[in-house]
Amino acid sequence: MTDVPVLTTERLTLRAPRLADFEPYAAFFASERSVHEGGPLDRVQSWREFATAIAAWTLRGYGVWSIEDRGTGAYLGETGLFHPDYYPEAELGWTLIPEAEGKGFAHEAALAARGWAYDIAGLATLVSYIAPANVRSIRLAERLDARPDPDADRPEHDPCLVYRHPAPETLR
Amino acid sequence: MIDARHIETERLILRLPDAMDFDKWADFKASTRARMAGGMQCRAEAWRSFAHMVGHWTLRGFGWFVVTGKDEGRSLGIVGAHFPEGWPERELGWTIWSADDEGRGYASEAARAARDWVFGDLGWSTAVSYIAPQNTKSIRLAERLGARRDPDASQPHDAPCLVYRHHAPGVPR
Repeated sequence: MTDVPVLTTERLTLRAPRLADFEPYAAFFASERSVHEGGPLDRVQSWREFATAIAAWTLRGYGVWSIEDRGTGAYLGETGLFHPDYYPEAELGWTLIPEAEGKGFAHEAALAARGWAYDIAGLATLVSYIAPANVRSIRLAERLDARPDPDADRPEHDPCLVYRHPAPETLR
Repeated sequence: MIDARHIETERLILRLPDAMDFDKWADFKASTRARMAGGMQCRAEAWRSFAHMVGHWTLRGFGWFVVTGKDEGRSLGIVGAHFPEGWPERELGWTIWSADDEGRGYASEAARAARDWVFGDLGWSTAVSYIAPQNTKSIRLAERLGARRDPDASQPHDAPCLVYRHHAPGVPR
């Protein structure tokens, strides 16, 4: 199985998801807050989502990290790359538990994940699929300098917006 | 992450699932044979169930192996231990993907190795096999492995099935 790299930012550690993360993950997806991320989900559905996302490390060589507070070790959410068979290309996504919102953590984590995807994994482009009503995520995508790409293919049956991130060479 | 695991039997190698196995898994899940093994699935659903198997290893430290023949290296099916959220207890399971590979004792050989692994390496004292009532071949194999019907055992909610119980050697029942 693929070893998951550990990324460190000013305030965060991005590390391999593990079983202990499932409780806060499932609690988030059980809440109405998850409505823009495909939720709410019951525990069985959350388990499948969680396991499926983790599997990308083995199946694609890239995947999602759990975000941890460097100071306290607390679990804050997930960020990283999603690329199931039914996605036309790799997606950069992020999800924070409610207590972690409003502090710029998602931005900090997504930047680190994108940097790894471009510089280490060698991906040439990235999109973020965002529900049209998910104002917070749209704002974050724009803060990451991603822009709407109306011509991009979308996952089947998913009426999301596609935000395309700047190409790696423009960020260097 | 867990160590790469690998079990060898006389004719088979049990190894961790990887991306190369997905097409065969998707073919199997699109076939009517999947009705007795979790149900038929389209390719997108099959990706999710396949990825679930892979991620399960990370979360639980055990999971489904892909069974491959030593001779040709061809993948024949899956065998292993499964315990997703919502299941009442841990399962020992086996599936041969193609009817062409049945009747050669592969499932039996792989299941015996997996049983030794859960009771030996993993140290379990018991395991169940959830088997569709019409799956006579699997019922016969469960019985040959010494498992017995456990009518009092709980079942996963999503799939009414027969529950066959295995016991670790030497563990009081």
